[in-house]
Amino acid sequence: MAKKRFLIFPFMVVLFIFVMSAVSYGAAPGFDDKEIRIASWGPMTGPAAPWGTVNRGPAVICAIVNEEGGIHGRKLKHFARDDQYNPAQTKVVVKELVEKQGVFAFVAGTGSACGMAVKDYMAENKIIWVAPAISVKELISPVNPYIFALMPLYEDEASILTKYVVDKMKIKEIGVLYQNDAFGKAALDGIRQRLAKNNMKAVAEIPIEATDKDLSSYILKLKNSGAKAVMMWLTPSAAVIALKTAATVNYKPEWVASETLSDLGLMHRISGGLWEGVITGAFVLPPESQHPLMVKYRNASTKYTPEERQSLFYMAGNMFTEPLVDALKRAGKNLSTEAALKALNSTKNFQGIGPKVTWTSNQHQGTDSIQIWRCGPNGSTILLQDWTSNELATWKKK
Amino acid sequence: MDMKRGYYEDIQLFESNVVLFWSISFLIFIFTLPLYVPDYHFYLLNLVLVHIILAVGLNILVGYTGQISLGHAGFFAIGAYGTALLMLKMQLPFFLALPLAGFIAAFFGFILGLPALRLEGPYLSIATLGFGLTIMQIIGHWDFFGGRTGIQVPPLDIGFGFILKTDVSKYYLILIITILLVIAARNIMKTRVGRAFVAIRDSDIAAEVIGVNLTAYKTLSFAVSAFYAGIAGGLFGFVLGYFNPEPFNLILSIIFLVMVVVGGLGSILGGILGASLITILQFSLLKNIKEMPYIGDFLVAVSNRWFTVVGLENFGSIVLGLIMIGIVIFEPLGMYGVWLRIKKYWRTWPF
Repeated sequence: MAKKRFLIFPFMVVLFIFVMSAVSYGAAPGFDDKEIRIASWGPMTGPAAPWGTVNRGPAVICAIVNEEGGIHGRKLKHFARDDQYNPAQTKVVVKELVEKQGVFAFVAGTGSACGMAVKDYMAENKIIWVAPAISVKELISPVNPYIFALMPLYEDEASILTKYVVDKMKIKEIGVLYQNDAFGKAALDGIRQRLAKNNMKAVAEIPIEATDKDLSSYILKLKNSGAKAVMMWLTPSAAVIALKTAATVNYKPEWVASETLSDLGLMHRISGGLWEGVITGAFVLPPESQHPLMVKYRNASTKYTPEERQSLFYMAGNMFTEPLVDALKRAGKNLSTEAALKALNSTKNFQGIGPKVTWTSNQHQGTDSIQIWRCGPNGSTILLQDWTSNELATWKKK
Repeated sequence: MDMKRGYYEDIQLFESNVVLFWSISFLIFIFTLPLYVPDYHFYLLNLVLVHIILAVGLNILVGYTGQISLGHAGFFAIGAYGTALLMLKMQLPFFLALPLAGFIAAFFGFILGLPALRLEGPYLSIATLGFGLTIMQIIGHWDFFGGRTGIQVPPLDIGFGFILKTDVSKYYLILIITILLVIAARNIMKTRVGRAFVAIRDSDIAAEVIGVNLTAYKTLSFAVSAFYAGIAGGLFGFVLGYFNPEPFNLILSIIFLVMVVVGGLGSILGGILGASLITILQFSLLKNIKEMPYIGDFLVAVSNRWFTVVGLENFGSIVLGLIMIGIVIFEPLGMYGVWLRIKKYWRTWPF
């Protein structure tokens, strides 16, 4: 009888080894003669899922590159992984991609905390991360040799938008409605810096919480402050609530919003048309643009990923991948991480469907340029100002 | 064969020499694990161990004392933030900061235990739910805690000049702490305190009649359980390296509860099995769905035909849900029940 009891544990142990070994591969290099593997992560399920769209976009540009014969004979393979906006999950999927699938570089990638949780791991393993789909100062200062940032910092964007409101629209009474976190506070810094330069002050600076659902007291405060333009750094739902609340109290300032709210088609729809007339910053050309590259991406998307909505953020996924493709082409046939890094560091005034990008070995924030749009009828895009950079940017001063 | 002839036989840590032998074999196996398993898996194994500590602690509260908590993500967060901040802001060594954070969590557990004296069932779950949500709001709004952006944990310096950097070295640290805490939990359950917990679960009125101090033991149960969650949270911070308040949400509390229920209520082994299964399923099941041999293409086709563009990513959650439902329907004792059946089967094998 005791003998049989002896058998239970070995049975369990064997089963365990079997399960573990069935899923283990050796760590693979990032590329071989046939393909270069790149990857993105982001929330594809759960409440943050809409922000993950950008991480499926690179599939389009990869399909185009492969159709044209690849990069020096190597095809591009793109992996997109769901991390449910949870840093613990991000680390699992990034490790899986690096150590099992053998990924050469990451593009895009959503979630500030998610990115912060994996950046050291990627640097340790010499994995390049091009164009994080987040704007976090900690990624670029001090310079991380493996991270190449492309999204303009929120403070730069806020500064440029404020300049436009003050100089072009001649509005002196500016109110700020910002989310009470790193995202909103960075923008507030940019606005304050720009206003201070003009010896001005915002008439109201109102922090709101991401979870706030009733904004009526804040909107009344803004109305009473006499703000003629309201700049907002909010989540899409909070922005829509702000507009709806203002409409009920008959308050009609000029609304100015961040690039994170620049999916005009979507915003127009979820705000029931109230978004018309809102001014936003933008980090990529509008998806309906007639720019030859955008037309090419749209056609490729219709062909290869017909199930996807060609939204702003989906197309932005291509914009984030363009500089990497460009650098890989320049890196030549003898590809290595060092060669790719060298090519990326010598990127100068590269432009695809986004702003001009320049990276040097001691400056990894590629751009600070944004476009300024106004939402037209039915969520169409009216271009107010072409790519503009921020002459006050703090990171440029050395 | 399982007949106990005396009290001291019942409170032994190892029931027989057979159990002792296999326990030691198993310990040797898990301590030499890095020899057989590639490094890649150790991050996941660390998460499993952290969740085992938490599930064993939660089982003391839910399985043994019969109270419910939907606020354990809050204790988990207190442990994570407590340990990291005590080390960052007060320069405390790790081995002091970790238990201290555990005791802070235990203190909050004690506070939360007070309403538990009057509340039961759904009412208690709402109270604990409120606690979990409140903690996250406080942490998220206070710059001292890093706000919504999150905080970078300090290097894991365990003293004597050792700084643990790799997942494997962290594995050993967490493994030792896990083993100690699991043995402690097993022993607590065999003392007067443990029997008082079980008495409260079975009938709190009867327990009070036979002399169990409900106030003391109910709050104690909350405190012990919160202590385990605090320690688990402290270690979780180091496994991750960087965290923000977002993941410590209501869903996490529910996942913890699921671990205990799927594993088996009122058994230490149940907590261990449940935490292992749910963690592995949640973190690694069907993540690389497109690249899987054979069924990958099939699932992609199914997704394109009937689901939305992100339908594919939902397969993991669907399968996880089905497994949870399946276990609860077919084996009410959870995985511990499955384990009992396997044991019984081998005992009479081949008859």
